[in-house]
Amino acid sequence: MAVLARRLTTQFQLLEAPTILKPAISPQIVESEALRNLRATLEASIAAKLTSGSELVRAVARQRREEILPTTIPPLDALLGGGLARGKMTEIAGRGTRFSIVIATLAAATSIGEAAALIDASDSFDPQLAEAAGVDLRRLLWVRPQTMKETVTAAEMTGATGFQLVIIDMGSRRPPGRRVPDAAWVRLARVAESHGATILVSAPYALTGTTSEAMILAHAPRPRWLGRGNAPRVLAGVETKLKLEKHRRLRPGQTTTVFFQCEEAVGSTQAAVMTIPTADTRQPTARAKAS
Amino acid sequence: MTRLACFYVPMFVLAARLRSEPDLLNEAVGIVEGNGSNAHIVAATRRARKKGIQPGQSLAQARSLLPKLIARGRDAECERTAQEALLEVAETFSPRVEDAGEGVVFLDVTGMERHFADFGSGESGVGSRSDEEKVTPAISDTRHPTPDSQNSEIRLARAALRACDAISLPARVGIAASKLAARVAAELPKSPIVVAPGEEATFLAPLPLTRLSPELEAAAMLQRFGLSSIGDLAKLPESEIASRLGEVGRELHWAARGIDPRPLMPRPLPPEFREGMELEWPLVALEPFLFIANAALDRLSKRMEIQGFACKRLEFTLTLDPEGYDARGIDLPAPTRDVKTMLTLMRLDLEKTPPGAPVVGFSFVAHPDRPRRAQLSLFGPSAVSPEKLATTIAKLVSILGDGRVGMPMTVDGHLPERYSINVFSPPPPPDMKRTPARARGLLAVRTFRPPIPIEVTTREAEGDDVQIASIRSIADSAPPSPAPNARNRIEAGAKVEIGGTVRICSGPWRIEEGWWSDRPDIREYWDVELERGGVYRVFRGGATEWFVDARYEM
Repeated sequence: MAVLARRLTTQFQLLEAPTILKPAISPQIVESEALRNLRATLEASIAAKLTSGSELVRAVARQRREEILPTTIPPLDALLGGGLARGKMTEIAGRGTRFSIVIATLAAATSIGEAAALIDASDSFDPQLAEAAGVDLRRLLWVRPQTMKETVTAAEMTGATGFQLVIIDMGSRRPPGRRVPDAAWVRLARVAESHGATILVSAPYALTGTTSEAMILAHAPRPRWLGRGNAPRVLAGVETKLKLEKHRRLRPGQTTTVFFQCEEAVGSTQAAVMTIPTADTRQPTARAKAS
Repeated sequence: MTRLACFYVPMFVLAARLRSEPDLLNEAVGIVEGNGSNAHIVAATRRARKKGIQPGQSLAQARSLLPKLIARGRDAECERTAQEALLEVAETFSPRVEDAGEGVVFLDVTGMERHFADFGSGESGVGSRSDEEKVTPAISDTRHPTPDSQNSEIRLARAALRACDAISLPARVGIAASKLAARVAAELPKSPIVVAPGEEATFLAPLPLTRLSPELEAAAMLQRFGLSSIGDLAKLPESEIASRLGEVGRELHWAARGIDPRPLMPRPLPPEFREGMELEWPLVALEPFLFIANAALDRLSKRMEIQGFACKRLEFTLTLDPEGYDARGIDLPAPTRDVKTMLTLMRLDLEKTPPGAPVVGFSFVAHPDRPRRAQLSLFGPSAVSPEKLATTIAKLVSILGDGRVGMPMTVDGHLPERYSINVFSPPPPPDMKRTPARARGLLAVRTFRPPIPIEVTTREAEGDDVQIASIRSIADSAPPSPAPNARNRIEAGAKVEIGGTVRICSGPWRIEEGWWSDRPDIREYWDVELERGGVYRVFRGGATEWFVDARYEM
């Protein structure tokens, strides 16, 4: 874990370089003389509504950059500034409840009519549970690769085809086989950028390096049980702590806690859920600031 | 008045071969028919003809004139597919097409010239699209003024020439009111030629009699009578010709006057597309075969594109050396025209089960289907292009194998591991954007496929219930991996080591399915949290068989 933390810190420092973001172009610079003259001849109210082609293109691009896909998990959305950025790659790493976040994101995307692809490298997706969680299975392409290379290739292909959401889930163990070169993640990020796809990578350890827009670290979860003593127990759910390790637009270091409940205990866990903070978004600690 | 067009490919035997082997286009090539001492040239490229190679020469004579002559035998498969391709091009211009064989196709173009009318430079439409060049009357029959309809017909003929060029067949085009006149017009070297309606006799008059029907012996006899042109024959009385030459002479006289009573015999649309060729030498390696197959599939794809079809099933037959055939079929997950995808699927099939003998020929048959279409929305979420989706799915299937790509489906029943995979065909997206519903926040489980057998120690609990004290995965439970390169495979559950003392145990929950059958599936499920961490779903299948089938997401 210490190695991982050191690596993430390095990545974060690299990402702070201002050259990565393109400087915004002032509309004044590109405003043509013809357009200026046209605006001058029109009434102010009409001229204000006049938009040139280049301005429109920039506005559409800006809108696309700012578009987000909410995960519909309020604490996580708050941590990510509203949700997963479209046209970007977001990564969730660690031992926490990553797969529950994946299922919730799939449910959010498919419920609004978007096509989603799940690259399930560990072949652990349960269609029955996903349907119960609200995933529209008709809009979900389930891909089950067997190697790391196949996983990244499948993600690239589905992203380039036009799927609005592509999720790579690496399972709970480090996948065997050779590592894919870093260039593969760069290429995947470019596919997301050029096709406006939202790519979510869920892995037990950080994979995407500097290519991802945001990186969430999911800490080890804690199960919650209903019932005490000799009384029969029921698994109520699992809570996990999430930490924003890096983000290109937001300040990293914030943490939150999310709780996922068991389907069998949905009716009986309302009280238990209420006692757990769901939007515990704290500022970074002094130690985190120092690092 | 009926207007007929004729597509004619000169030296069709050679053109069909060069279509399959375009590298030979600039070489001295001769097409040979017959074996041994009977082998003789039937067609030769321009370069060979310049060196004196002529049809009818024996191969030995040709070799003595040009030792470096590349000799190729007649390939029936090439000729058949070239003829099919020519017919398909004709079908893009008219629905009524007659197959006259050997590089000749007739089509009814009555009224079709309207699609090629000149709408002026500012107009957009089919006519202006095909009319990049200005119409030059010199190319058509120049002795008569060319009205607008004839200009349109010339544009149609030029578009046909371009379409034939696109499939690598150098065709000539003639348009006239009868099949005979259209064919004669197409055979003339200056193409395209449009014969004005009612001017067939005038058009034919100056041409030599051999143009009329080279096969007829009567034509030679008429030449001996001193008749040199078709016009000379047409001037003679029909009864005199008929009395001397019989019925053949009467037909010849009609033809000389431009009268052709034969109607167009349209062919039915083919249910499949074929490509193939015979190889010069047996192929024993996969790569050279795929190199040739790539070119053939490319031609197949272009032909399907012309007709607006995509391939749903690809069948291929390999001719083996010394004898025998190997026939195979590949069902594509969705209709596609992507050559790379089809080639990859073919490669995988051949790698899986090699033919077992050298390959000396092949034939591909594509069963067409309409590609998927969808109306895209302006305001809703963008839909995935059906054609791109079909290609992607086909590629993924070729890489990952069957059953690993598709739409997940739930199966009715009580057992949690049940699922099925169907063809991914998403419904159209909504017309307007929606707001996502708030997630239910359900805890996900990671399913182990197949379930991992475990050893369990139990302790007694209240009543008849059993509580689990500890679990341990059985070491030898991992099933053998079917993949040869198992070292690089991700094995989801096979090598997961699960074990430890149970901290909290919850259960059992009983499931019974198929109670009406002889072997009902009765299970008892527990949720167990281990001291070392992790919550698992454990079930007992029989009296002593225990499994872990899922892990609560940790």
